[in-house]
Amino acid sequence: MTHRFLSHHDLALLAADLVASGTRVIAPVRAADDLEQIDYLPIQKLEDAALGVRVTRRSLKEFFLPPSEVLLQYRQTKEGVEIREVPTVAPPQVILGATPCDVAGLEIVDKVMGWDYRDELWFGRRDATTIVSFLCSVMDHTCFCTAVGLAPDSSRGTDLLLIPVEGGYLANAITPKGKALLQRCPGATDASEAAIAGAEAAQQEARGKIANNLAAIPAEFAGWLASHYDHPVWKTIALRCHGCGACAGVCPTCHCFDIVDEHDSSEEGARRRNWDSCQTSKFTLHASGHNPRQSQSERFRQRIEHKFSIYPTRFGEILCTGCGRCARVCPGGMDLPEIVGNLVALSKAEPEGSAQ
Amino acid sequence: MNIYQPHLMRICEITDETVDTRTLKLEFKDAKIAEQFQFSAGQFGEYSVFGEGESTFCIASPPTRAGYIECSFKATGKVTQALRRLAVGDTLGFRGPYGNHFPIEMMKGHSVVFIAGGIGLAPVRCAIWNVLDLRDQFKDVTIVYGARTVGDLVYKRELEEWAQRSDLKLCLAVDPGGETPDWKGLVARIPTAVEQAVSTAEDTFAVICGPPIMIKFTLPVLTKLGFPGERIYTTLENRMKCGLGKCGRCNIGSTYVCKDGPVFTAEQIKAMPPEF
Amino acid sequence: MKELQELSRQLLADDVVKVVIGYEEGPRGVRAAFITDPAQTGKLVFDKRCVQNLATYLNPRRKQVAQLGKPAIVVKGCDARSVAGLIREKQVERGNIVVIAMRCGGVLENSEVDSELTSETVSVRCAGCDVRDPKLYDHILGELPPEPPVNPRRTEQIAALEEMTPTERWSFWNEELARCIRCHACREACPMCFCVQCTADKGQPQWIDPSPTPRANRAWQTMRVLHQAGRCVDCLECERACPEHIPLGLLARYVADAVKKRFDYAACEDPTVPAPMGVFRTDDDEEFIR
Repeated sequence: MTHRFLSHHDLALLAADLVASGTRVIAPVRAADDLEQIDYLPIQKLEDAALGVRVTRRSLKEFFLPPSEVLLQYRQTKEGVEIREVPTVAPPQVILGATPCDVAGLEIVDKVMGWDYRDELWFGRRDATTIVSFLCSVMDHTCFCTAVGLAPDSSRGTDLLLIPVEGGYLANAITPKGKALLQRCPGATDASEAAIAGAEAAQQEARGKIANNLAAIPAEFAGWLASHYDHPVWKTIALRCHGCGACAGVCPTCHCFDIVDEHDSSEEGARRRNWDSCQTSKFTLHASGHNPRQSQSERFRQRIEHKFSIYPTRFGEILCTGCGRCARVCPGGMDLPEIVGNLVALSKAEPEGSAQ
Repeated sequence: MNIYQPHLMRICEITDETVDTRTLKLEFKDAKIAEQFQFSAGQFGEYSVFGEGESTFCIASPPTRAGYIECSFKATGKVTQALRRLAVGDTLGFRGPYGNHFPIEMMKGHSVVFIAGGIGLAPVRCAIWNVLDLRDQFKDVTIVYGARTVGDLVYKRELEEWAQRSDLKLCLAVDPGGETPDWKGLVARIPTAVEQAVSTAEDTFAVICGPPIMIKFTLPVLTKLGFPGERIYTTLENRMKCGLGKCGRCNIGSTYVCKDGPVFTAEQIKAMPPEF
Repeated sequence: MKELQELSRQLLADDVVKVVIGYEEGPRGVRAAFITDPAQTGKLVFDKRCVQNLATYLNPRRKQVAQLGKPAIVVKGCDARSVAGLIREKQVERGNIVVIAMRCGGVLENSEVDSELTSETVSVRCAGCDVRDPKLYDHILGELPPEPPVNPRRTEQIAALEEMTPTERWSFWNEELARCIRCHACREACPMCFCVQCTADKGQPQWIDPSPTPRANRAWQTMRVLHQAGRCVDCLECERACPEHIPLGLLARYVADAVKKRFDYAACEDPTVPAPMGVFRTDDDEEFIR
């Protein structure tokens, strides 16, 4: 990989160039309702962005799997039904300033979205998007990306990784899309030795900041979870959980959805898919009234099992990027890194078989 | 290709099996799809009433008959109630076939015992006709079917057809108290009916569908007869939405009912966590 | 705090209750604690970071909490109004709970960071507090602290809303509610949203579309807040729970103010005082019937 160097000015020019060419550019921006908070929003120029301030409140997920999207529209009359298809090709967009955890989350969810049946709505947006991620500098004590096999300088899922150095950024093009984006920067130069060394130091420092938050989750944990569904720990693990699903909303990897039909008029309407969460009481409720997950403890167990056992077993990926948003947003004080840490410790203390 | 977009189907026939169970016979509106459509016994689909939503049912007709598919359902929720309001000629949506299927190929050259209770006959009936349409490729065929009352028996015209055939053994049963004065079948619950009708597990596969409680009490009977868990096939249902493995709703532990099922062996079910 | 810990220890050791629902230190400030072991009562804390209304854990839908057994619950005066509401609406029997009321001089808006209580850091819900000395209790602890500083933000927001024309108000709420993702965290966190089947979850008929569209979001939020009229205690759990930072408390407060104006009623600590929406009186104002 050739390391290239972009100055701050080069990046600003790139953003301006993209916007001028009609490409939507999304970056971390100070929120209108609270300037201390950061959201991913469209920008017109690089100055509008608030890079390196704080982890955004929401993940990048909504740009690929919107909270609600139309799957089809229908028109139903006495003559029959007419379906109006939705486009599966999306307009080009660039995410500028994503955190590595958010970007890795996209690649992790790609696995289920491409499992046998290719979700063209998801991939249409993925294909149309170029992602520029930055070395993370906004980690706090709730982050734990290193525990789930990622890192603040992870290049998973990104097209172009920028590492802040003196005067600008070390630019690593990871994919052809990233390379193409770099080629739009006439000012880009080969990186100097000093820049490369500076980047390396910055990466080491960043990794050091997170590594102590939560120890790496051992490979055996997935299997332990699968064989300990009946462990008594589940009974009290979710007492304070409200079952609200706020965690799923802000999570970069939660992708569960509902499909509903809605009328717009007596003849027309749409079939939509909406964000949903296994934490809600009705998620698995049968029409008969039977609910395989009747209690919050079973529902919370499902969250842990899905993320740390089921998804790894099926797709080889932990369904979590350690971004910490779930812990930050939970009104009930459920702290995922704390809970996972406790469960891992339990799995080491009681490794064999099923508990009595 | 939007995987969530259904095919349009026309209802060509409606049969009321019982007071609350209805069968719809559907044909694809698109002749090309009709020609190409294939599925295997045990697979399911997402049937939709536009404006109301989608509902999950197995394909109740056999794959050996081309040109149409059938589904049978009870009106329990929003979508099934809406399905009941449809008439011949109306349009509904269909996505499928999804899921795995009964191991018809593997069962060839062997005997098969089909056991069903109530509306559980729907997925089994698909497999029964699949087998009967290829009758000479199987050894003995036994069908044990029952319901709470005579009125609850589904596919009554086919039960009569099967009763006339000499190449299968049919045992019909209704629960004690569910018989009518002219009832000629057994008066017994399914586990008892199976004990009477099935004499050997040798070289035989068992396919069983019905209410969970029926399965719970029939499995020990099959085990006693000598059926190993890997030769007992059943179907599981769970709340579903996408039907194709993405919405994260139907899993039992790491098993996705829509992808790994809905057909499972008793052995596989034993290994599942208590989540269904 | 020591008093609270000792009282809790005693209640558990004497088997008066099976669980004490209070506050404990968590990785991100204080959070709900469910102490069943008398030896663990040292975990209980009570200070200005204890903003959460714990009454929500008495909701009978929370089966696992109910299974722990008869609870003692730590409440501030404001939270006690939710407990009274649950008793009033027959969700909780007075004799089945032990109420440990804490005299309180205000709580912080941001409970994660302990800081001085000022008019900027104090929660908006503390403005005009008249329950520093709670009336609903089995045990009452703590010294009566001075009145909390007043955070003017809520009053300012309400005043700003009232200055707006209907069109401007419509625009304001549309913009705020556009962010709603229908996670229903507001409902799940609310002590008074205890319905086994919420109107929004009904499919037959589908009163409210489940999708997070502007139309459906408006319907959901206004319905919820109207269902809370006369029952909401302004604890702001809905606003704290909302992952989209929608000022739900503002909407709830607006309705509470309307109830006060029309019915001269605010949710109170006395479960025997009936709420206006829950009772029919022959002298009810019927001017809306023409």
